[in-house]
Amino acid sequence: MSLHQYAMVMDLNKCLGCQTCTIACKKLWTDRDGTQHMYWNNVETRPGMGYPRQWDQIGGGWKDGHLQPSRQPALDDYGAPWEFDYEQRLFEGKGKPVMASPDPVSGPNWDEDVGALNGDDNFYFYLPRICNHCTNPACLAACPRQAIYKRNEDGIVVLDQERCEGYRYCIAACPYKKIYFNEITGKSEKCIFCYPRLEKGEVNACAAQCPGRLRFVGLLDDPGSAVHKLVHVYKVALPLFPEKGTGPNVFYVPPFNPPKRTNYGKSILEDPRLPLDYLIYLFGAEVKDIIVRLEAELTRAQNGGSSELLQLLIGRDAETRYQIKPQLVQIQARIG
Amino acid sequence: MRTISKIVAVLCCSLLALVCGGITSEAQQKDVKAAAAIPAGLALKVAPASSRAAALLEPLAADWTNFPTQRVALNRTPRLYDTEAPSDPEIPFVDVRLARAEGKLLVNMTWHDPTRDAAEIAKLPAAPTEGRAHKELTEATDRFFDSAAVMFPAHPPENGQWPSLQMGDPGNPVSIYFWSAARGAARMEAEGRGTTRRTGETFPAQAVYREQAWHITLELQDVPAGFPLAFAVWNGSQQDRDGRKYFTTWLKLE
Repeated sequence: MSLHQYAMVMDLNKCLGCQTCTIACKKLWTDRDGTQHMYWNNVETRPGMGYPRQWDQIGGGWKDGHLQPSRQPALDDYGAPWEFDYEQRLFEGKGKPVMASPDPVSGPNWDEDVGALNGDDNFYFYLPRICNHCTNPACLAACPRQAIYKRNEDGIVVLDQERCEGYRYCIAACPYKKIYFNEITGKSEKCIFCYPRLEKGEVNACAAQCPGRLRFVGLLDDPGSAVHKLVHVYKVALPLFPEKGTGPNVFYVPPFNPPKRTNYGKSILEDPRLPLDYLIYLFGAEVKDIIVRLEAELTRAQNGGSSELLQLLIGRDAETRYQIKPQLVQIQARIG
Repeated sequence: MRTISKIVAVLCCSLLALVCGGITSEAQQKDVKAAAAIPAGLALKVAPASSRAAALLEPLAADWTNFPTQRVALNRTPRLYDTEAPSDPEIPFVDVRLARAEGKLLVNMTWHDPTRDAAEIAKLPAAPTEGRAHKELTEATDRFFDSAAVMFPAHPPENGQWPSLQMGDPGNPVSIYFWSAARGAARMEAEGRGTTRRTGETFPAQAVYREQAWHITLELQDVPAGFPLAFAVWNGSQQDRDGRKYFTTWLKLE
């Protein structure tokens, strides 16, 4: 266990699927040689294939204290990059529409907005994902070179580029497939939770740029933090695939809104827009209690009452959503 | 549990090395006509060359026919990790020829490998990425490359204390000359498993893949007679990397 643990909560009811977080992260961290297929932050449509493709069905994580087998995703699972032939079309008189080359066959969020059917109604929602900076990281345990470590001062999981030899056991071990291989450097890479920004008191780039204001960041062990309140006090945020056993420190407020258009007068669970089974698949059985709790808060607010929880989830300003404590983390790391 | 399974695997590996090291199986014996197998711990012949070192660097140079081919049995590392898929032995031996020329030890290795796992990977550009329009691309995320290595004790062994075959011991390091079919030659050092460190040094090496076999020559700093050395081969198509490989026991130079 680290002295402190930075955590993130994402309210999936507020995600627009705009990918601004993805681009913020990409521009800051993975606009380098060998990183074209890497999105340390990605947003995928659910239900859907995910990024990399089928990551949720290819193993990894822990079971009964043992790492579980998995495989290395191929480049096509991430989506091979393509360029647009502006030169030919715009300047060489070919007179055809601008085309992608090579012909795209896959990509992150390739099945955008496809979703699935619930009866006759289509449904989908967006799932933003970063490294979960797990309490019991499978990637760390899988590395024979101790190249991955969890920072004692703030719980952020980082990968030492000097020690890494590109064996990629970590990629297989991570049940969320949030470690990526850079073939140019011959080393693996991952989300660093923007620790250089946090150390300066700035929130993560993905959170700072999010127009939907759906991200909350702070120390999970700080009783004054929004993440602490949402996870431990109001208990409305859950980790993704908790059964994978890694103890994620990224949590999600499950999507339950808007209600189905035909369900006037019914509770969300009586006539859900999103099939409950699918939410249970992602977040575990506890998701049902959370939806009931959130609906009750919503009903109270709609009837003129007040809801501290909903006010917190609205998160009007950065001070409400983010509690970055660089001094606390650094001082305690020194004396710890 | 994982630590225990690692320890068990390491013990099995050491035992396997003791039992099988240098001894070819019955099936392999049929192939051993031109070359004699080297029993564990015995010496490899090394002869002075009349050719220049540069001429011998070509793995298929005619001059190499003047040197005896010595067949060394390869052992397959047992399963090391909970998550590792089983992998059958596919490369039973490596043929080695050794020559001394111009103060260098030239090591010629040939092994059968029906799958050529090699690539030309773009070098990381020296110029910073900021403001550079073109970025080199990762072409694959799930491939591993054929490789080989020669390992020596980093220092002359004292009182017959050879370092551990598993990348040396703390205080008794090894020096490793590593060649990869994608990334070329690199010298490494290690003081135990998981401690391999790239020195930043390279060394002359050439490789040819012909008729389902790799032929490589490594030009190394010479070492005195009686010095221990060991060989390793990685098969990319078997996802070999790290300790997942083929290895010989410690042998020694005649």
